Amino acid sequence: MSVTDRARSALSRLVDASATERILISTAALVLSILIGAVLVLVAGRMTTCTAGEAVYYFGTGFCYDPVVVFDRLFLGALGDPLSGGWSPNGQFAVTLRETTLLLFTGLSVALAFRAGIFNIGTQGQMVVGALATALGVLWASSLVSGVVGTVVLIPFGLLVGAVFGGLYGAVPGLLKAYADANEVITTIMLNFIATGVALYLVSGIFKDPESAANQTVPLPEFAQFPALLFGGRQDFSIVALGFGLLAVAALYYALEHTAFGYDVRTSGVQPEAAEYGGVDAKRTVVASLTLSGALGGIAGAMYVMMVLGTFQTGIPAYGFDGITVSILAGNNPLGVGVAALLFGVLKSGTTVVQFATDVPPQLVGVLRGLIILFVAMPEFFRLLARGLPGTGSRPEAVATDGGTAGDGRGETDE
Amino acid sequence: MSDAPADRADADSAARNAEGDGFFERYTTRALVAGVTVAVVVTLLLAGLLFPDSLAGTLADALTSRNTLAAALRLSVPIAFAALGGIFAEKSGVINIGLEGLLIISAFSAIYVADVTGGVWIGFAGGVVASTLLAALFAVVTIGFRADQIIAGLAVWLIALGLAPFASQVIYSSPNTPTVATTGTITVPVLADLPFFGALFSASPSVYLLFAAVFGSWYVFERTAFGRWIRASGENPKALDTAGVSVTHVRYAAVLISGVLAGMGGAALSLDLGQFTGNGPTMVNGKGFIAIVAYLFGNYNPVGAFLSTMLFAGLDAVQTVLQLQGIGIPRQLIRITPFVVVILVLALVGRTRLPEAAGENYETED
Repeated sequence: MSVTDRARSALSRLVDASATERILISTAALVLSILIGAVLVLVAGRMTTCTAGEAVYYFGTGFCYDPVVVFDRLFLGALGDPLSGGWSPNGQFAVTLRETTLLLFTGLSVALAFRAGIFNIGTQGQMVVGALATALGVLWASSLVSGVVGTVVLIPFGLLVGAVFGGLYGAVPGLLKAYADANEVITTIMLNFIATGVALYLVSGIFKDPESAANQTVPLPEFAQFPALLFGGRQDFSIVALGFGLLAVAALYYALEHTAFGYDVRTSGVQPEAAEYGGVDAKRTVVASLTLSGALGGIAGAMYVMMVLGTFQTGIPAYGFDGITVSILAGNNPLGVGVAALLFGVLKSGTTVVQFATDVPPQLVGVLRGLIILFVAMPEFFRLLARGLPGTGSRPEAVATDGGTAGDGRGETDE
Repeated sequence: MSDAPADRADADSAARNAEGDGFFERYTTRALVAGVTVAVVVTLLLAGLLFPDSLAGTLADALTSRNTLAAALRLSVPIAFAALGGIFAEKSGVINIGLEGLLIISAFSAIYVADVTGGVWIGFAGGVVASTLLAALFAVVTIGFRADQIIAGLAVWLIALGLAPFASQVIYSSPNTPTVATTGTITVPVLADLPFFGALFSASPSVYLLFAAVFGSWYVFERTAFGRWIRASGENPKALDTAGVSVTHVRYAAVLISGVLAGMGGAALSLDLGQFTGNGPTMVNGKGFIAIVAYLFGNYNPVGAFLSTMLFAGLDAVQTVLQLQGIGIPRQLIRITPFVVVILVLALVGRTRLPEAAGENYETED
């Protein structure tokens, strides 16, 4: 018991001490990535060609792309231009919330695994499997019911199918890691390729919608999709789905912080040896957390099918990889995932606005995603930076000592 | 490990001892896989000889075809180069999971530079430089700022995955580049006409470059002091430090070498086709990750990594030949076979023993 208690106190001190610092680092990483992104936009603007009238001028030099416009469109555009009057929730803002909903689930999926000390790079594949299973399962079930009853029955059913199949697909790397000691980073990446390949095969063959040129399944009937309450239907956003997402955030937070399972997961992640010594079944925890993580990815897939597309189509956007960024930015904390998912929802939705308003390639957001991960991974860099600034040096340094002193009073975000 | 011996020879022997652990058990699973592969191939060849009209006959034809060997060599070039790079980094104690990103960035840069300058080999050099720069960034982040190696490696992959199509879109208004001249082939007269092995003597220059790199890497690890330092830096950095060699410098050098090697692989990949395609997972399409499995399966030995790459690439090549002959296996399923095999191999080989200090940051005590 004493070992367990000691592990528990060590863990809580570690988490508390770094909570404030994590928020500072995530913010700094975000700002720095955006600055580098701005430089990248300027450089790219020098490499492409445009007429003199289209160019903007900074420091006496002409650039084809204007980073101010890019980031203005990226952020304000994504929120539906709240500053320019005539704001309506039905415009781009609904798209942002739609993206946020999906990222909540993929972010939570990655975060849960991370907390258990497992890198689940396979959320993307689990999402694909969950999406395909949902599309087929709900299509089959939709012939049995209809109308409002159909909606009430089919949506939970679809989410369940997505969760089960995503979970099973997540269990595969879990079993491989627990019993064959196969590195989960590699296996989950491989399983992503396999999921995409098999889905393409199935959807271009047996399950292909004969009336469509695209590789997609037969579309679901309207009643089998999330209802567009409060918001207009054009943006494919449903407040019900967002509600499910927020519920998942709260549930996972509670499960991690206040249940025996969550305790097993957290201790395995922080101190595997101590966890095993304290009586945690390491193999079972690995399989369980990857299964649950896969189930969350699968639900993201189900949401994508039942809220956004209304069918399964090959080429699902990289929500799974964005989930990695969301989770890392959130310090793998479920509540943090809520905030980071909204932020990334803005980035993803803003990308389309940028595409309409400027010629800057949408892949810019992919680069930002990588940069953010890179900077969040190097807290040491920001500690050095903070120490280098005169006057501001003492505060972050005190937090950085990782002891109980500086962090004890500041851990409110984690409690 | 705390009472580290104080001279260089002991640091080396520490590295050697650590490598010996569990060798037998790993040896047997590898031998098993190799044995099964050889048995399957021999059975197929025999069956094909006896019943030339059956499926076995077709497969045997594919296996003994010169084209299969040529395709396998061509396909293995990027994977094997990246695997060699991965060995350097990981043996020194830095897990470089960003190899995929290095391949992507060099594949694009090679085409871009070749397109601008008009020189294929200048393009090749451009690809290597780009990859080395990205590897240098990775080195600074992981060694200098002690970032988590796995997360930083992922970041390298994702940055390249975004940056290469971004740049292509900016410059060429499409994620795919226009085509440029390719590296062509070097043909050795007479020998190139040999039935099966002729493919070895009529190949792209990058294939010969790969042979040289495999031998060179083997030589560095087995015969040079630098190779022993790299091993010690991954197995027992403290001993290396005590022996008066800077762990930091050795790790920087090893990661930069991994950038150079992966860059050669990426440049060879795109210049072989004369084009970079940047849609979806780009033309690299997981080769960097297969490379990681290849060197794990090859037990960090350059020759072993090359042979296991040939196993993966050979499989890929046989499929390509089979596809052309119209065997009724769907193309989409054939494409995922290498990934399935990678998982099977990982499940079988299971416990790969990483270098003792791999993944850990080393702090000098001064």
